[in-house]
Amino acid sequence: MIVAEQKNLEEIRRMIDPYQRVLLLGCGTCMTVCDAGGEREVSFLHSALRLAQAKSGDGIHSFLEYTVKRQCDPEFIDLIADKVSEVDAILSLGCGIGVQALAERFPDMSVLPGVNTSFMGMAKESGVWDERCAACGDCRLEETAGICPITRCTKGILNGPCAGTKNGKCEASKDMDCAWILIYKRLERLQQLEKMRRFYPPRNFRAIPRPKRITSKVSSTGEENG
Amino acid sequence: MYSSTTDNVLGYHADGAAKSSFDHSLMPPCQAACPLRMDIREYVDLVAQGRIMEALRVIRDGNPFPSICAYVCTHPCEEACRRNQVDKPIAVRALKRFAVEFGGDRMVYAEADTTHNEKVAIVGSGPAGMACAYYLRKLGYPVTVFEAHSEVGGMLRVGIPQYRLPREVLDTEVKRLAQMGTEIRTNTRVVSLDLLFDMGYKAVFITIGAHQSIRMGIEGEDSPGVIDGATFLREVNLGLKPSLGERVAVVGGGNVAIDAARTALRLGARKVSILYRRSRAEMPADTSEIEQALEEGINILFLTAPIRVKRRNARLSVTCIKMELGEPDASGRRQPVPIKGSTFSRQVDTLITAIGQAPQMPSDFNVRIGRGSTIQVDPVTLTTNRVGVFAGGDAVTGPATVTQALVAGRLAASRIDDYLRHRYPQAEKEAREVLKGDLLPETIDRIRKIGRLEPPILSPEARTGDFKTVELVYDWATAVNEARRCLRCGMGAEIVSQDKCATCLTCLRICPYNVPRLDASGTIQIPSDQCVACGICIAECPAKVIILRKPYDRRQINDELHHILKSAAESKFKPFIVGFCCQYGLFGTGTLASLWRESVAGIWIVPVLCVARVEADHLLHAFEMGAEGVFIAGCGEQCARENTAYRINQRVGKVRKVLTQVGLQPERVRAFTSGATYLGISKELDMFIEQIGGLYLTSTIMQEVKS
Repeated sequence: MIVAEQKNLEEIRRMIDPYQRVLLLGCGTCMTVCDAGGEREVSFLHSALRLAQAKSGDGIHSFLEYTVKRQCDPEFIDLIADKVSEVDAILSLGCGIGVQALAERFPDMSVLPGVNTSFMGMAKESGVWDERCAACGDCRLEETAGICPITRCTKGILNGPCAGTKNGKCEASKDMDCAWILIYKRLERLQQLEKMRRFYPPRNFRAIPRPKRITSKVSSTGEENG
Repeated sequence: MYSSTTDNVLGYHADGAAKSSFDHSLMPPCQAACPLRMDIREYVDLVAQGRIMEALRVIRDGNPFPSICAYVCTHPCEEACRRNQVDKPIAVRALKRFAVEFGGDRMVYAEADTTHNEKVAIVGSGPAGMACAYYLRKLGYPVTVFEAHSEVGGMLRVGIPQYRLPREVLDTEVKRLAQMGTEIRTNTRVVSLDLLFDMGYKAVFITIGAHQSIRMGIEGEDSPGVIDGATFLREVNLGLKPSLGERVAVVGGGNVAIDAARTALRLGARKVSILYRRSRAEMPADTSEIEQALEEGINILFLTAPIRVKRRNARLSVTCIKMELGEPDASGRRQPVPIKGSTFSRQVDTLITAIGQAPQMPSDFNVRIGRGSTIQVDPVTLTTNRVGVFAGGDAVTGPATVTQALVAGRLAASRIDDYLRHRYPQAEKEAREVLKGDLLPETIDRIRKIGRLEPPILSPEARTGDFKTVELVYDWATAVNEARRCLRCGMGAEIVSQDKCATCLTCLRICPYNVPRLDASGTIQIPSDQCVACGICIAECPAKVIILRKPYDRRQINDELHHILKSAAESKFKPFIVGFCCQYGLFGTGTLASLWRESVAGIWIVPVLCVARVEADHLLHAFEMGAEGVFIAGCGEQCARENTAYRINQRVGKVRKVLTQVGLQPERVRAFTSGATYLGISKELDMFIEQIGGLYLTSTIMQEVKS
């Protein structure tokens, strides 16, 4: 799941300042799950913005709130086309993908990001999320016992641990586990310590250029594949 | 409403009105067990909130004579109550008594207009007859009640002893019937139904009860000194004082036997014993009645049956035999079997037989009689074999409860109405789905155990001297605390649209009772038979997809907040503070009452049914509408849940962050929830008000300086 956190109110107010009518648009998938931009957060932001407006006394904005099922699919976005036609800007509480999908679909509309898209991760407990995947496109988790050194090691090194590990923690933060110690312990448990003794060559960054595209279409001869 | 701009393509959004009005609540087990189908959950909840008058209104809606039931109902609801699985059931009957007494039931004035010409005769003035008269008057029919005895009330008058049902209560109900224009003829025994039809009555309801005691069929039963329970109680209740002597034995194990024994004690008998042929577990009498009888010093001989009575020297010698329990019989109770050679004798002055009663039908009624001398009727229409003649109550069922008689009376009234209006009678349908299923052990573990609070009763010494009412009424705080134990079965949370649910698992993770669960397909479910409607998940669900099943519960905070913000705006006290206060603690237990009474002008209270339901949005909205300060006051230690305070503080924290960012001081919002004592919270609030006053003053001065 994509994890994000809502931008602070001042930044949001600065962004929407030039626009009179603003659509606060939530996203019903990841942003709902990570408490950054689901219907409740949209409604809370709406209240906060109106309160801010009431306190500052310059009440020029009017807000419309809405939440779509997923902002990263054009079909869902199409469902709100008539609402978009009534506003001057969209403040998207979707992730960065949602913001761009909206911008693509509505070329004449300002689309503003309401959240900082942070990482791909999982819920550790209620209200706490941890990063787990960097989407590097070259998954090595088989070799590292299901623990990703690229995301979970501060340095992202492929042959660890480094000399900065101490008591199983990272030198960058005492609260952070050293990913390579975790990998070692898990390999030991799985009796696969030989994987620890191998050298992993540097990743080939040329093989994974950005932006990436994946297509599930079967390519046939003579057809361009993107 | 302030959230009117919220709508959503994905859920219940499409019809805003429907969203607020549909009722998905299930019928709780207490209501399903009540023959009258009283809305018990509703009035118990109203008592818990201290809204006694409204509780009484709900009670009166479902029961023509709530004051009577408040004393003598056998409360099958308490047997069905699911709180029983946690600790003890809610004391529903005692709470009803509290509501009728404190709500002023005796002041209720009943009126009825006569809108029809067809006269209806009711033969018998017991609970079934009275209820039928009540509802027929409400429907607009002229009604005459015929009563053979000198006083109205049937078994309520001549059967139930005064210490269980004070006669003033019965008299009030009878007076109310007369007030409604019911013609009541006492000392009038109806001997022929033809005569009634000749007198112009178009329909007759026979409800003559079951006053004839069943004979034991043993030798010496007709000796002087042997009296049957029904006759004995009738004589005492109509003002006679039979002389019983010192030693009295009562045969039987039902409520009549217990009533007779306790009445004998109050008439001065020194030694009263009850002979019952089965054991205590099989005893059909009400448990609390049995306990009270034992307290009063009545000796119950279980597994004992009389086989012979002999009168000798103005005394009775009763020969008894001990029994043992054999195989279960048709009624499911284990059949008592005599133990050979275990006979013994007891000397008594009076023997009272109370082993059952049957109706005694005048033969001129010409109605078909069935098993146990009861009248045969169609169970749906209550019609007998004679046209225009209906029957109900004990005369049809054999001895049963007051509540069952009231149901028969109510049903008869509507069937007689059908008959006189030439309508085809419809079988009654259950309006709502009944909640089924027991609480799971893991849910029970998480429900705070709160013992049942019984109403006070007179000590055995104080009550056995005369016929004073044994049970007293709750005081306000005890009643409210007792009512708050209700688990609110069947009115909990539901996921209104699975499609909109993001399955984020927030509800599953924060529920204090661990109720929501994932099914095998990965869909989250909130089982209706486990949820106790605290509302924590509703205020936390990021997709806003969980709602309470009852429309009132869903709207309550929004409506109240809207209302007080409007009032505050119109008020002359401009700077104002909004407080969200636990309704239970506020009016109910009085813990928060000082916030209401002592508060200075400009403090507006939104009563909420548990502060767990107050959302961060509500707090912001109060500020937006001009509140200088906002506080939440929970009932603290009395709260049914442990983690309410934690959740509230999370929401307050979130609001404080916003306040800071819009240039307001974060201390303008406060939560008073933890371990709040009466004085503590009141003092804290005073300090809070002072602080807000200071902030208001500073900001006003700053503004003036600026301008």
